[in-house]
Amino acid sequence: MTRDISLTVNGTEHELSVEPRALLISVLRDELDYTGPNVGCESSMCGACTVHLDGEAVKSCTVLAVQADGCDVTTVEGLATDGEFHPIQQGFQEEHGLQCGYCTPGMMMTATELLDRNPDPSEEEIREALEGNLCRCTGYQNIVRAVENAAEKMQQEPAVADGGGD
Amino acid sequence: MEFDGTFGLADVTTEEVWLALSDPVMIKNALPGCQFLVEVDNPDDVDFDALEEAAAEEEDPATLPEADPEEVAERGLAQGGHYAALVQVGVGSVKPRFETVVTIDRREFPEMDASGQGSASDSSFEMDSGMTLVETDDGVDVEWWTEADVFGRVAQMGQRVINPVANRVVGRFFKQVQKELSDVGDESSGLRDRISSYI
Amino acid sequence: MGAESESGSGVQSVDPDDVDAADILGSAIERREDPALLTGDAEYTDDIELPGMVHMTIKRSRHAHARIENIDTSEAEAMDGVIEVFTAADIEAPGNLPTGWLLDSLEQVDHPILAEDRVRYQGDALAVVVAEERYIAHDATDRIDVDYDRLGAVTEPSEALADDAPAVHDDASGNVAFDWDIGDAEKTDAAFDDADHVVDLDLENQLLIPNAMEPRAAVAEYNPSNDELAVHMTSQNPHLHRLLMSGVIDHPEHKLQVRAPDVGGGFGSKIHHYADEALVALAAKRHERPVKWTATRTETYLTDAQGRGHDTHAEMALSDDGDILGFRVDTAANLGAYLSTFAPAVPTYLYGTLLSGQYDIPAIYCSVTGAFTNVPPVDAYRGAGRPEASFVVERMIHRAAKEVGMDPAEFRRRNFVEEFPYQTQVAVEYDSGDYEKTLDRALDLLDYDELRERQEAARAEGKYVGVGLSAYIEACGLAPSELAGELGAQAGLWESGLVRFHPSGKVTAYCGTSGHGQGHDTTYAQIVANELGVDYEDVEVVEGDTDEIPQGMGTYGSRSAAVGGSALVKSSQKLVEKAKRIAAHQLEAAPEDIEFENGDFHVAGAPDRSMHIAEIATQAYLAHDMPDDMEPGLEATSFYDPDNFVFPFGLHAAVVEVDPDTGEIDIERYVAVDDVGNQINPKIVEGQIHGGVAQGIGQALYEGAEYDDNGQLVTGSMQDYTVPKAEHIPSMETDSTCTPSPVNPLGVKGVGEAGTIAAPQAVVNAVCDALDVDQIGMPMKAERVWRAANAATDGGEH
Ligand code: FES
Ligand code: FES
Repeated sequence: MTRDISLTVNGTEHELSVEPRALLISVLRDELDYTGPNVGCESSMCGACTVHLDGEAVKSCTVLAVQADGCDVTTVEGLATDGEFHPIQQGFQEEHGLQCGYCTPGMMMTATELLDRNPDPSEEEIREALEGNLCRCTGYQNIVRAVENAAEKMQQEPAVADGGGD
Repeated sequence: MEFDGTFGLADVTTEEVWLALSDPVMIKNALPGCQFLVEVDNPDDVDFDALEEAAAEEEDPATLPEADPEEVAERGLAQGGHYAALVQVGVGSVKPRFETVVTIDRREFPEMDASGQGSASDSSFEMDSGMTLVETDDGVDVEWWTEADVFGRVAQMGQRVINPVANRVVGRFFKQVQKELSDVGDESSGLRDRISSYI
Repeated sequence: MGAESESGSGVQSVDPDDVDAADILGSAIERREDPALLTGDAEYTDDIELPGMVHMTIKRSRHAHARIENIDTSEAEAMDGVIEVFTAADIEAPGNLPTGWLLDSLEQVDHPILAEDRVRYQGDALAVVVAEERYIAHDATDRIDVDYDRLGAVTEPSEALADDAPAVHDDASGNVAFDWDIGDAEKTDAAFDDADHVVDLDLENQLLIPNAMEPRAAVAEYNPSNDELAVHMTSQNPHLHRLLMSGVIDHPEHKLQVRAPDVGGGFGSKIHHYADEALVALAAKRHERPVKWTATRTETYLTDAQGRGHDTHAEMALSDDGDILGFRVDTAANLGAYLSTFAPAVPTYLYGTLLSGQYDIPAIYCSVTGAFTNVPPVDAYRGAGRPEASFVVERMIHRAAKEVGMDPAEFRRRNFVEEFPYQTQVAVEYDSGDYEKTLDRALDLLDYDELRERQEAARAEGKYVGVGLSAYIEACGLAPSELAGELGAQAGLWESGLVRFHPSGKVTAYCGTSGHGQGHDTTYAQIVANELGVDYEDVEVVEGDTDEIPQGMGTYGSRSAAVGGSALVKSSQKLVEKAKRIAAHQLEAAPEDIEFENGDFHVAGAPDRSMHIAEIATQAYLAHDMPDDMEPGLEATSFYDPDNFVFPFGLHAAVVEVDPDTGEIDIERYVAVDDVGNQINPKIVEGQIHGGVAQGIGQALYEGAEYDDNGQLVTGSMQDYTVPKAEHIPSMETDSTCTPSPVNPLGVKGVGEAGTIAAPQAVVNAVCDALDVDQIGMPMKAERVWRAANAATDGGEH
């Protein structure tokens, strides 16, 4: 009782059969081996599983794979282009925006969506935008700095801003 | 956890409500997610699978006002009686099917107390409940209370999730009871009088 | 290294390529572990996929306390794709999880990996399902039918010790796991007799759930032809897991490999040996196929060892002049249903020994009763015992200053320890410190006097502003094995480090610690590069694998840099010594005449007669021209065992505004001045402080495990248990002073727990200060604060 779907993940098209109840996160991780997005809560609370679905940040533990049929998915694996870090990755690296790194893929996907919408967010706007992404390690301060750092970079070289692949 | 409330039913008499709320068929019909409700002899040994199969095959008998009040009174809940029910409720993201056994501890018009427990694959509950019917100007108030202990996955969701579910279930139940009873009053056939004679 | 930072504005990181080799130690270089974590290349346990792998789930008790009458697995077993369902009855003698720390009065109780006839907390393991697919295993778990005979449950330590409490273990009468005390009771009583003032508070340090973002997980693989069993798991200490697990599942230690891949945070919860990983290992052996188990978030809430859980009555004796004369503390500590790996140590030696705080207190007595309850085992959670101690001390100091009518900063200053080393009344000896310095720095940053004026002005306008101070101390760098042994540890607490030159001159350093977010690869490479005078990029670091690293004790207790880093220093020094003799031999000079600088060995007075250490490494492996009696090769292993703990300290301060109408708390400023000794990488140090403070603020304002009367956890999801979000945590102002530790060669003190230890009482003191009340319980949710505020303004009780 499986269903055939097609997903374009980080630019690569995949045709596959999935159970109707299979979640996007399990299909990405277990079937397609995109293990960048992580599972932290299975209940849309932590944001570790955040990916872009047609450019929009979604928690992939709350999306059925069949709902994503025909969509473009970008995971953390798709952030860098030709080995060159996306500004958000550079920001996290330079500002020590991560410790264990478990929340980081989701954080960066939410942050890039924010920067798409709002290229120069205030600290408050950043904290608000990250409301659905929990981090237990960093206390968020360096995550906020990382997003600010990325925003600056993206404003300086607008060309890079399109490098997210979605 | 404790829940209580009062539900006002309009244009009915205490006797009608008493009879309706004593009718397992009516209760089954009114209770959302209830697949069957039948009397059992031994509350510690209930074969829910067999009961479910049997229930699926049988047609529900009529309830008031179509049913004969005598029959309804006959099959009504009895003090000391044990009843088995299968109830499925959606709680948050899960939908446990509770295999439930209820005992009528006390039944003295217009008051009734019952206790019971239910268990599903990863949740269970134990409860004591009671109700009193109070006549009002335009009908009857059902005053009810329940003290429940909830265990397992459902308990973990806490009152945040359970309270609204309980309110929803109770609300729907009484709305349905009200709906079924509203026909009773319309009858000019003397049903009302016949009902009161069974109390 | 050791430069004090300039201001509270934060540390700027640098690219390692821009740092001179000679300056690498102490530089805030970017972390080398980040590229993998930033690209999705990291490998967490659940990312592991092995050929033929099957999935395991665990059926857990629904009740907090019950007798098990029957477990019916037939329906689950009959499902397609289910390979096996097993219970305690199906395995020969289910192993018992051991306790790694014993106390004289400790009541040891059995802790089977699968409950047999009784469960003692909601989440106790009952049965194991092994299935082809993860979701089949979960479905099958739901179909296991368990008949329970429910028993009364108790979840609070003081209730568990009451006369009529249900017995958690039949053998532990009155639910007492141990009675323990420290200090001098008589001397303390005498101090109270002489006191001008006595203050007391009932303080609760609530149970917390660690909430590492990565749930616990394990993957085991077994090779029947050589009996080798490998377990990849979320571990903070693979060697300890290997040792304990080899006993629990009766598998030879030398044929058991435990490896921690990338680990997504631990905070203590991944130290302990749980039944889960032992069951995964057993399942892999039973079926000779790789087996994976990953906890759901619900399981982590139900089964991760929790932290804190103290009910305390504390009294302080004071003189009119504001001197602390005596301190008496009585604590009931929640140990949960069973004794977890380090559980007995946490509320005793890691707690009572820190009750002198930063103060010269002439008489202290502390008694602790450990209580069994029907909650998950309680064990080390970030800080482990020390936050509880610091909370009690600093809450009492706040109360005491008010009693004698002194400013809390000045009261602290008056009572600070000034001479080091300092022998406390509770066994430990502080290595070094300068408490006034962190206090002054923090007061400066706060502009304290101005703040007090503003506070008064605000109050006149009906606004409630408060300042809370927390002058914390902690003991870390766990630590001297001999002492730990005397106190009951069943393991040494040294650390091992192996440093190996490769023939090409590159270096690999192996350490027995096991980082899970702390950036050890970076800091250890900084340490080793500095000692050997080689390029930072030429040093590779390996951790977290029992097959690669000689031995190890793991990462917890802020010990990695102090103990593991020091082991690497010792090994590096041994290499330099050997290399020097080779250099002397090949340069035809006496070893005494060889000087070592930035990786170069040269003959004193003849700088051009020199060899680089990398060249010597090549020579050591070529072994064509070695000194007589010298073995080829260039590597060294050390087991470093320090002779004392190290004692980081600092002053944290919170400035809050409380809205008495809503009970809402706004943290306007949070200032942290920490002295963690020398800093190997100030950026990483800063990150540890930030994260620690966030967890401490979480405890003060939001977090707490709550149970109903039946022992059912009602905060069992991220929706009901508030892990702080970005919006909940203020921007912190961090700064540091530097008092190097004399205990270890790096002069470091440890930083992993400081923030968590310091923060809760800073915030509680601030709220008490704002409302001018003596006591508010944690978490300070709006309703609680509102009540306190209104009781205070009514002039009523609080
Ligand atoms: S795993 Fe999807 S939000 Fe937590
Ligand atoms: S870096 Fe560990 S959870 Fe965010």
